Amino acid sequence: MVRLAVKRLVFGALILWAVSVVVFLATAALPGDTAQAILGREATPERLAALRLELHLDDPLVSQYFSWLGGLLTFDPGRSLVNGLPVAEFVGPRIVNSLVLMLTAAVVSTPLAMFLGTWSAVRRDRAADHVTAVVTLVLAALPEFVVGITLVIVFATGPLRLLPAVYVGTGQVTFVDLVLPALTLVLAVGPYIVRMMRATMIEVLESEYVQQARLKGLPERTVLLRHAVPNAVGPVAQVVALQLAWLAGGVVVVEFLFRYPGIGYALVDAVNNRDLPVVQALALLIAALYIVVNLLADLVSLVANPRVRTAIR
Amino acid sequence: MSATSTRRDVLRWAVAGGAVLLTGCGTQAAPGAAGGPPRRGGRLRAGIVGGSAKDSLDVHAPVTHPDEARVLQLYDSLLCYDTDFRIQPALAEEVTPSADAKTWTIRLRQGVEFHNGKAVTAEDVAFSLRRIVDPAKPQAGAVGLAAIDPAGIEIVDPRTLRLNLRTPDAVLADQLAQYNNGIVPIGYDPKKPIGTGPFAFGSFEPGQQSTFTRNPKYWRENEPYLDEIVIIDFPDDTARVNALLGGQVDVIDQLPLGQIEVVRANPALKVLDSETGAWTPFTMRVDQPPFDDPRVREAFRLIVDREQMVKQVLGGHGVVGNDLYARFDPAYAKDLPQRKQDIGRAKELLKQAGKENLTVELVTSAVAAGLVEAAQVFANQAKAAGVTVNVRKVDSGEFYGDNYLKWTFAQDFWFTRSYLPQTAQGSVPGAPYNETHWSDPKFVDLIAQARSTVDEKQRAELIKQAQRMEYDSGGYIVWGFANQVDAHSVRVNGLVPDRSGVPLTSYGFRRAWMSA
Repeated sequence: MVRLAVKRLVFGALILWAVSVVVFLATAALPGDTAQAILGREATPERLAALRLELHLDDPLVSQYFSWLGGLLTFDPGRSLVNGLPVAEFVGPRIVNSLVLMLTAAVVSTPLAMFLGTWSAVRRDRAADHVTAVVTLVLAALPEFVVGITLVIVFATGPLRLLPAVYVGTGQVTFVDLVLPALTLVLAVGPYIVRMMRATMIEVLESEYVQQARLKGLPERTVLLRHAVPNAVGPVAQVVALQLAWLAGGVVVVEFLFRYPGIGYALVDAVNNRDLPVVQALALLIAALYIVVNLLADLVSLVANPRVRTAIR
Repeated sequence: MSATSTRRDVLRWAVAGGAVLLTGCGTQAAPGAAGGPPRRGGRLRAGIVGGSAKDSLDVHAPVTHPDEARVLQLYDSLLCYDTDFRIQPALAEEVTPSADAKTWTIRLRQGVEFHNGKAVTAEDVAFSLRRIVDPAKPQAGAVGLAAIDPAGIEIVDPRTLRLNLRTPDAVLADQLAQYNNGIVPIGYDPKKPIGTGPFAFGSFEPGQQSTFTRNPKYWRENEPYLDEIVIIDFPDDTARVNALLGGQVDVIDQLPLGQIEVVRANPALKVLDSETGAWTPFTMRVDQPPFDDPRVREAFRLIVDREQMVKQVLGGHGVVGNDLYARFDPAYAKDLPQRKQDIGRAKELLKQAGKENLTVELVTSAVAAGLVEAAQVFANQAKAAGVTVNVRKVDSGEFYGDNYLKWTFAQDFWFTRSYLPQTAQGSVPGAPYNETHWSDPKFVDLIAQARSTVDEKQRAELIKQAQRMEYDSGGYIVWGFANQVDAHSVRVNGLVPDRSGVPLTSYGFRRAWMSA
């Protein structure tokens, strides 16, 4: 298993490097350069020339890429082209904010959704199951934007003014700022996990080894927790991983809606500004997140399922 | 609002060596007219559209709307515009051109101090003007101040300086009134921004928010009333409106059209609707087919149903245009007949030009509110005349990319400007934004003459002739002037309609005060 993990990590590093090349080329291929993006309509030829000189935009692409890569290998991702701040200082707090938001959403949604899915499966075809099915289907069909707006109207701008509608501040996020964005994400990723958990659980509950356990006279609780759940967790872990990886991208819309000071918000801005060092840093981070989450999901299904665990040895 | 004021502003504008005397860019209404006498103290939180990691505090290089808002708190220019878009003195108490408009004398107001306590002197003004026109790093105002020769700035005494211009410029005052031509002390560093403005620098996080504290020594009487201003960036419209509805900010600019009725219906909020001279024209390149034929240009101008444009694109919050800009210029050609939709005549003109069943591409981008919508409405209206308009929407990066100012048929947006300063920006050869490539020699000559004519009447005459030319055969379709629509909490007083097109009374938070 360790060998598998190491192998996957090496592949991960290679993928990251490929991502950095693609992102660099894609950003360079976008129409307009950083100087034009900064000055926008104020871009007179004289001002463009002065700014391009200042930002070294006239250097050849290859040398721009390698000077960035060289910096990265010495743990210096450079400085933002548009405000001159070191990238680490600029995106650092935003990464923390986004991770806090994603982790909160993940920590709340995963157990909750798995519990709901299991419960729904156990009460299969009863009223509670049907209600859960309808609600999760509706939520899964709604874009997170709509869910977010609805939450804002209900909890922030309507008659109930319990929570802030948007984030206002200088980058420090408190608990109340987190509630609505996190809830939106929970409602966006939860339904899939609920549905997957239910489907898997139903299959497992009908399987022979669960029948066997029941025939042995084990209490239903033990059957469920000791025999059924561990077998269902494997396949569901893959879905959870997919959903969590989706969070890294889905967070963009939610951050925009709530003006949440995270990486999604910063990434959109950086792409608009053609701020290459910031785009690179954030794109690599999101790619790394995908890789790590998927690796973790594989490891979880290995640990949860004894058959696969032994097979890989 | 009445036109009376306790300290009525009197403008004696320079007629061949006359002088300007007076107090400032106040509104013409008594400040406390709406909600009792102004109350001192309090904190105003303003949600401003846009903003980005590229935000700056530089007095001479504002790019985003929050930049503009910051500049207007921190700094003052020599002159300024009042809410009726007339020039008023600010840091200068007199600005006087010579009879040939080649020399301008500036007399500074006495006793004005920068935020750090240093007195404003002629040396600081010279430093600021040189910083703007520096050829190695020209600033936003450099184009407008092109006539200024850095070597020709003469310090007469600590309160007086003389500008010996490269070329005559009878309307230099308009440039000196631009907010991005503010006055800063010698040795100015944008990282520690010091000006003379109503609020002094507090804190700044690019793309997030910035704070400003009351300048107790501000030179305008009584102002500012508030203790602190917080300027918060809001790139997303929904988030900005939600922040206002949820009470997290007290004012917002650029209320989206769809939200106007929502805000009107809310008793805790008010809409601030200002008629402006801001315009979003279609730009036809007069040097490229099919628009190199004036008949095609006229046909396109006759295709537009201006009333419908204002109704659909601006939700009725605007007025129709007559293919002319600078509607608040005293010399604006009001007497030219209003152009109206005339599909029959348009078809006839196209037929004469041999351009029946014409197909053109219209390049648009969401770089200003209403642009994309206007393009779509126009494409629809053009069908009636047998013209196929293919709307091509590009992102802002591409719009301002290498093809910017070279598109055959596109759009642009402009704020309120007077006529001659506007032509210098976009309607003469060599102007930085001449998107229509308009370069008629007779027009150029008229403009040059007008620019060197100090006598207002004579100048107005020349300007009228130039407008007539643009009206007959220019490359712009000026279908309307959009209102500036902002919103604020009923607790906020003192903000009034303003013609400049800059939101929230030109971000005039110095006039604002909070009810208890």
